[in-house]
Amino acid sequence: MAQESGQNLFEIAYPLFQRINDNDFEYVYRGYFDHSITKKILYLADTSIAKVTHQAQATLQKRIYYIMVEGLQNITHHQEEIANDKEFEEYPGIFAIQKNGDKYFISTGNIVANDKIDSLKSKLDVINSLSPEELKKFHREILSNGNISDKGGAGLGLIEMSRKSGNKLLYSFEHLNDQYTYFYLQTLIPTDSTYGDVNCNGKHSSLESVKELHQQMNTENILLYFNGFFNQENLLSLLAIIKSRMNMPLTTIKISNVMVEMLQNIIKHGIRTADSAGTSGVFFLGQKDNETILTSGNIIPNEAKQVITDRLEFVNGMSKDELSDYYDDILLDFDTADAKKTGLGFSDLRIKSDRPLKYEFQPINDKEQFYLLQTTVKNKKK
Amino acid sequence: MEKFFREETEDSPEIIFDPEGGVFKISKISVPENALDFYKPVLDWIKQYAEEPNVQTQFDFDLEYVNTASSKQIIQIILLLQKVAEKGDVKVRWYYESIDEDMRTLGARYKKLVNVPFELVEIDE
Repeated sequence: MAQESGQNLFEIAYPLFQRINDNDFEYVYRGYFDHSITKKILYLADTSIAKVTHQAQATLQKRIYYIMVEGLQNITHHQEEIANDKEFEEYPGIFAIQKNGDKYFISTGNIVANDKIDSLKSKLDVINSLSPEELKKFHREILSNGNISDKGGAGLGLIEMSRKSGNKLLYSFEHLNDQYTYFYLQTLIPTDSTYGDVNCNGKHSSLESVKELHQQMNTENILLYFNGFFNQENLLSLLAIIKSRMNMPLTTIKISNVMVEMLQNIIKHGIRTADSAGTSGVFFLGQKDNETILTSGNIIPNEAKQVITDRLEFVNGMSKDELSDYYDDILLDFDTADAKKTGLGFSDLRIKSDRPLKYEFQPINDKEQFYLLQTTVKNKKK
Repeated sequence: MEKFFREETEDSPEIIFDPEGGVFKISKISVPENALDFYKPVLDWIKQYAEEPNVQTQFDFDLEYVNTASSKQIIQIILLLQKVAEKGDVKVRWYYESIDEDMRTLGARYKKLVNVPFELVEIDE
């Protein structure tokens, strides 16, 4: 079953990868939200935004940051409201940031109790009906009324999200059961300050497509989806997120080690983006049947296909003992002190993986291939 | 001999080589993008130290994460410590957290491959 789910990822990876242009990205985190994870998600997003925005756009970067904070706080508030409820585990929250050309999209999703929908919806509708000037006034009114009953109960966060983005808030409710509904909220932030433009050119960042992506992540139980440019900085951020996310120390160490090798492999060998923000690639971390499945995809030149295949077949063809001996040999082989030429990385992945390394090549054009690699680590409770 | 010091960064280890104080330690995290460049000055320093080492050298590795590129540099360090052992006493200690079987495995691998007193030290969290 786990094999099949891994295969599904191979099928969805390239279409997802393809829809992201150079210097664009989309990251989705799905799961439990707490202070530590929120902080790391913000850091990951913020450093990535900094890579692709000009210094003159410092205000923009701040606004996006602010909207992300509000969005993430929304999720944690809703999460707290249903504390101790198994429902949240079953329907975890999501946070998505997408950059599509000159627009950013911040989307959040979480469950809310059915009896809260009406008031939430009316707040959103009021906010969306107001002009920027009216919104400002409304904001001031609420502040001076001191009418902030419970956590952001007056919708201050929502008002601020709308104000900072200069846009209406897009939302959607998906009925789950007689108690809960899934609530999606999306904010669009144009990089220039054109006001009130809710239409998005890029189809893939629409709220509908975020919902679709979420569906896929639910089906495959993906906790982390990262599509865009990879560099050492975001690798470290991703690592920090995983460290906070997992509550199984033993497995976390292994997953972190595997992740470093897989992502540094992309960074080193993949094809860099036009302005060298990093190397384009896609990465998923999912869990199924008590296993953690790590999947990466990136572009390689045709000539690399055979070399990679040979190396992967080589490490897959050995027993763990044989591989361990081989590892010793290459560790001591200094003819080439460069680890990338010796296959140390693949050997290490295979030693740490609980299944043979899975891979696939999908031809893109007559020069390049999309190269997918998958590593599986058994979850150990400890 | 001059001390050698590197502050830890997000992806590279803290390094303290202080012959006078008798401290030789590499700790925290080692997953740099370019391990070759990072470890070049480290190896150069130890090469020089091997010429005229202390009577006793206690060398500690206390690492949390090591990427494969770094693991290849670390074996070179340990091989240089073999050189140091020709002129003085050397003892290597490899610390690992009790739950971290990967780090224990790596330490055991080094211990097997080199000919220098090498102790694996388990730390409880």
